Amino acid sequence: MYEWMKKLHMYAGLLSFMAFVVWGFAGVHAVFLPPPGGYQPPEISEVRETPFEAPGNLDDKQLADLVYKSAGITMAGGFYNVHRDDSQNLAFLVFSANGRRDVTYLEDQKRIRVEIRDGGLGNFLSSMHTAHSRRGAPDRSARLWGWYNEFSTWAFLFMTLSGFYMWVATRPRLPWASLSFAGAAAVCLILWAATR
Amino acid sequence: MFNLMRNIHLILGLVFFVFAMIFAVSSLVIIYRPWLNQTPRDFEHTVRVTPERAATPRTLALELMRNHGLAGDLRQIEENDDEIRFTITRPGTQTQVRYSAGTSEAKIQTRRHGALETLVQLHTNHGFWHDFLPSQAWALVSLLGSIGLFLLGASGIYLWFCHHEERLIGSIILGAGLTYSLTTLVLSRAA
Repeated sequence: MYEWMKKLHMYAGLLSFMAFVVWGFAGVHAVFLPPPGGYQPPEISEVRETPFEAPGNLDDKQLADLVYKSAGITMAGGFYNVHRDDSQNLAFLVFSANGRRDVTYLEDQKRIRVEIRDGGLGNFLSSMHTAHSRRGAPDRSARLWGWYNEFSTWAFLFMTLSGFYMWVATRPRLPWASLSFAGAAAVCLILWAATR
Repeated sequence: MFNLMRNIHLILGLVFFVFAMIFAVSSLVIIYRPWLNQTPRDFEHTVRVTPERAATPRTLALELMRNHGLAGDLRQIEENDDEIRFTITRPGTQTQVRYSAGTSEAKIQTRRHGALETLVQLHTNHGFWHDFLPSQAWALVSLLGSIGLFLLGASGIYLWFCHHEERLIGSIILGAGLTYSLTTLVLSRAA
């Protein structure tokens, strides 16, 4: 039993290694995220325009939906804040794993303008660490990552429990190990009680 | 060296055991949330607060925290002529306060989530900007846990490599995992 558990623990860790790196990075990166209300969008790094002529019988929400689908924005999960800009052009925001996209439909020119605000690698990994089989951008690569991420979550739970089992099975009487476990568990319990 | 790394791996695993369980279980709650049918409990009550103790949103919030049992971070302050509104939030509990200067009454609506949803909110509790001390402490534990994950991964790789009989199959599994994950990540970043 112990030998099999050890093998599975090892294999699960090796297969999920990259997910653990991404999660560890996301956890450290999260410390440096701004507090609520403090978000500042990155600078515009690129502007793309594509020709597009919309039917004249759509309301703003229907038009925004059509523009969103026609703009060719990848790794995105919907559009938000549909409004009119100062020139009365329809505008809205798209949040993608690669950063924010400010979309404007230039109705007179029959063009879609997409201002790309690249979020950087840190925000990308932070965004990807939340993906799973049913959550995240609909793009195939993101979906495949989501499956891996979800598998790695189960692997992480298994490794946590199997690691505990291996300690109990082999070296349960190590005083410093028991003390470490008890001390950390006590800190978490105290914090839990203080939070609840 | 092997025994040292084995002990480091063990101690890191034990120190972060509870926290790893919090992260693992909360991640699964996030993934399978639609199937879990969690329902928060809502409470509502009203307290009287004299206008001098509600001179500003912060003094009102302090009064409610000191004398009426509220605790958490003060957020989303809105103020107009006669009314003050804000939220006091901590992992698992969100309280909305609406104070009317005309009646000197504060209407307090509290939403209390169950243990599983509280785990999710602990998972997403990060940054050192909290007013609520336990939230600050959870954020610190979260940071240490993330660093611990790196160290557990690195020591785990070392321990695997020391098992000579596992090198071949381990290399295949590690290679397959890295190839798959890095390919999907790079393609997603380049998309």
